[in-house]
Amino acid sequence: MNFFINASMPKQKSGIEHAELARFRLFNAHHVESRIVIRDWDPQLHVHAKEAGIADRQLIGMFDYFQEALDVPSKNIVTAELDFGVMNTHVQHEETRDLVFTARGQLVARVNLNDDRTVQSVELFDGFNNLFRVDHYDSRGFVSLSQWYTPDNKIGTETWQTPAGKTVLETFNKDDAVGKRQKSGWRLIDRDGTVRQFDTIERLTKHFFDLLNEAFWSETTPNIFVLDRAHLGDWGLLHLKRPAYTVFYLHNSHASDSQDPMHAILNNFYEFGMHAMNGYDAVVSATHRQTRDVEARFSPQTKLFTIPVGIIPDHQLAEPRIPVAKRQFGKMVVFARIAWEKRLDDLVRAIGIVHRAIPAVSLDLYGYADPSENFKARRAIEAAIKENHLEDVVKFKGYTTNIAEVENHAMMYGLTSRMEGFNLGIMEAISHGLIGFTYDVNYGPNEIIEDGINGRIVANGDYKALAAAILDVLRDPELAQHYSTGAYDSAERYSETNVWQAWQALLKDAQSKWPSKLQAVPAFAHKQ
Amino acid sequence: MNYFIGNDLFIMNSGTEFSQAQRVHLFKDMGLRAQYVTRNYNPLLAHNRLDLGLQAEDVLNMYDFFQGTMDVPRREQNLRLLSQIPLDEYHLIAHGPNKTMINEAGREIAKIQVMPGTVGLVHSITYLDRFNNPTVRENFDWRGFKSSVDYFHPDGQLAVQKFLNLAGKTVLEVTHMNIEGNVQPTMWKLLDYKGRNFRFNLEDQLFLFLLNELTAAHPHSLLISDRRDLDYVVASVQQAGSKWAYLHDVPLRRSGKRADWLPAYQPLLEEHRADFDGLIVATVAEQKDLRARLPDLPVIVAPDTYVPRGPKPINEAKRDPHLILFVGRLSPEKRPDQAIRVLAKVRETFPDAKLEFRGYAVDQDYLEKLKDLAKKEGVREQVAFADYITGDQLANVYEKGSVILQTSRNGGFGMNLLEAMSYGVPIVAYDTPYGARALVADGVNGYLAKNGAITDMAAKVTKILSDRKLWEQMHTAALEKRGDFSQANAETAWKKAMKDIQETASSDLSASLASKALGGN
Repeated sequence: MNFFINASMPKQKSGIEHAELARFRLFNAHHVESRIVIRDWDPQLHVHAKEAGIADRQLIGMFDYFQEALDVPSKNIVTAELDFGVMNTHVQHEETRDLVFTARGQLVARVNLNDDRTVQSVELFDGFNNLFRVDHYDSRGFVSLSQWYTPDNKIGTETWQTPAGKTVLETFNKDDAVGKRQKSGWRLIDRDGTVRQFDTIERLTKHFFDLLNEAFWSETTPNIFVLDRAHLGDWGLLHLKRPAYTVFYLHNSHASDSQDPMHAILNNFYEFGMHAMNGYDAVVSATHRQTRDVEARFSPQTKLFTIPVGIIPDHQLAEPRIPVAKRQFGKMVVFARIAWEKRLDDLVRAIGIVHRAIPAVSLDLYGYADPSENFKARRAIEAAIKENHLEDVVKFKGYTTNIAEVENHAMMYGLTSRMEGFNLGIMEAISHGLIGFTYDVNYGPNEIIEDGINGRIVANGDYKALAAAILDVLRDPELAQHYSTGAYDSAERYSETNVWQAWQALLKDAQSKWPSKLQAVPAFAHKQ
Repeated sequence: MNYFIGNDLFIMNSGTEFSQAQRVHLFKDMGLRAQYVTRNYNPLLAHNRLDLGLQAEDVLNMYDFFQGTMDVPRREQNLRLLSQIPLDEYHLIAHGPNKTMINEAGREIAKIQVMPGTVGLVHSITYLDRFNNPTVRENFDWRGFKSSVDYFHPDGQLAVQKFLNLAGKTVLEVTHMNIEGNVQPTMWKLLDYKGRNFRFNLEDQLFLFLLNELTAAHPHSLLISDRRDLDYVVASVQQAGSKWAYLHDVPLRRSGKRADWLPAYQPLLEEHRADFDGLIVATVAEQKDLRARLPDLPVIVAPDTYVPRGPKPINEAKRDPHLILFVGRLSPEKRPDQAIRVLAKVRETFPDAKLEFRGYAVDQDYLEKLKDLAKKEGVREQVAFADYITGDQLANVYEKGSVILQTSRNGGFGMNLLEAMSYGVPIVAYDTPYGARALVADGVNGYLAKNGAITDMAAKVTKILSDRKLWEQMHTAALEKRGDFSQANAETAWKKAMKDIQETASSDLSASLASKALGGN
């Protein structure tokens, strides 16, 4: 089985979730089984997963797994169905919650409601007015987590139940030697009744991986664990009980400064994984450039693969190409979070220069504004707009899912990020024939854009050079069409066929190593 | 059904538990259905009831009832054969016979306590976190199954108790939270009982719920309340056929000419008197006194204990001519200190006289005090503070003893004396109201000494020990007198008592029917 490991599948997805889902669809399209493995507890997991196109059959939440709740029918629970064990209660409805009282007016429970007035959580009070527990309901209508309160009104023991009400997992909040209250451990009652204690969720997760490895065990094919978020298993995957094929996936630059990949201190998320690299069977980067840099810096014994995290569907590649002449002249778009690391104020400055020569140029910014530091990134862009008098040229368009429509009418795509892990946006842009302009920034922009083929790459931070490159294209319709055609053509690198081929190289490696991996373990050696 | 309502069955029981257990046996032999109902959670209950010869169907415990574990056969669960411990990951390290630790890679992650009185059977497992706090305690029943799970607050106090059915599902939860700043149980919540949840603020409310369930399922049941702290619960039961209280001890405290109810008896004899159909006492003397004070409440007599049927050969070869016995709890109101002083005086005549205590001390301090006293009296070597024992072991002691002492401040019937008597041991007892007088014919099978008069008691002991012929006579008289307390006599007495109980119930019924008729409903 192929396991793709992530923390959650939130409504607002980052590039990692998009990459994982694209891979998941690719495997499904090729009828190769995979499972999305979600480590964190989320009572809305099945709602979000369903929205993301993941069927219950292919979803394994760690908590669901222990709670024997991988696949349970959904039901709606409303306040009236709750049994508090108290006679003659009455309910007072409020906007987001129901208050339940005894006949004498003593508070029995506060029922916090979802938008559809189904039960989200229940705060329970005893006969002496103590809040003693909060029950959290899974979206499928059962109590998933109960948080037991302490006399000083903090969360003490937390327990997870099966839909039938059997306690299977507990975590404890206790005081350490200096009196600081923190999670002190986890206790698991497995389906077979064995009881194990774990100091940390990392150790619990490692045990969970062991159980998955055992449950999906096959002596003919290895289980493949693809770790999409390092903190979930960079330690655990090194300590599996049985052999498996483990894959450490780099979704971002391994170096904190991607422009200095050989010497910069490592990206904190990957520091451990990079040092323990030879303990994994494979390390995957999304770009050839990053693979080269990892090879150069670490000279690892483990195998390195380049597998793009973005995939352009076949139907999109087959769409009729739109000539530059039929696009809005001078229209540049960008789809990105309005955030510091995207440095879009530089792009605005470049457009400012272009605008002085060619007033028809315009820039539309699509994406949520990052609120950190009081919308610092957006304020920087607004300042650049003002400074260059671009109020009618540069527009904030907000978030849209209608990317194809926008890109099929535009002409150019600009990128001035400080660093990237891949950048799905610019890949999507070239697949729609947009001419790309980017700084020479690792990793992704300077590989997805090929200088002089599908657009231009200029020195990092040199917005004047970027403006000059844009002007060159706007002044030369033939050159523009040449780049646009190059963009369409270069998008083939990310076709389903090509990405699947890259995966197959990894799957083949896993398969070829399997006999020797088994041979190395006494329990399985004799069978070979 | 006849329900005898109590708290518990202990490893070391008091006379009340013995009396309740004997009554169950008696009823069964009389062809009547009876159950000893207990309130307290006790994983050793099945063991303790066997000590008293009671079978699973003879005892109904509240927790077992709701857990559905009333009739589970015993399976010895060795701690090293616990399937829940993955022995390919953890080591079990024994620390003496009572404790074994679970180690993971050298760190202790749990403590297994051995079931008392067993070799290596599991009693509880307490899991420890990385700060060495207890996190979860799993309690095993003596019959070998996991019965309950406890969680703890950060300061180590009990936080939550979950009681399980055999499938491991929680059927009852007890929450421990604040009441006026002190952490104590605040809620008993019965889960999915007959498809519903029931919440209670007190354990006794749950117990009342149980008794109401039992009496609803078995109409016309007789409830006998044996424990004073449960009288108020029994009083509130709705559907019992009749409700009686058995008084195992003396309810009155006398000071001079005044006599007041002891506080423990006030709920029964004052607030809830009207809820009971009557009182049962062991002696006619007590019945007489109570009738005088409680003219509105029927008081009947039925024995507290008896000598069970069956031949009981006595091995006279074991008899130690100068061994004095004291059997019972070592607590101040039993005045074991006076027994020590009596021994010191007897030794003036018989330097080889010895005293053997058989009973558990209320606490270690009190035991030490008694030992100090023995030292001070110069008899430390001659006083044995021996273990609490029952059954055949205790029979061996009765076969050895030459005299048994009773020094209680205000003893009830004295089950220990009856047992000693059945082995032919002469009794020297203080003459207290309703006490030894029923058992001791002064000068025939023993002596009654003036209450609290140590010298008098010592003289009477010395007299018995010095006159072999007198001892023989008293020995024979004791064996004859045990006939008065035979099981056959007890059955006759209880048959009559049950008749009185039924008549009271039916007269109540006709009275209530009559009052309804008068009321014109």
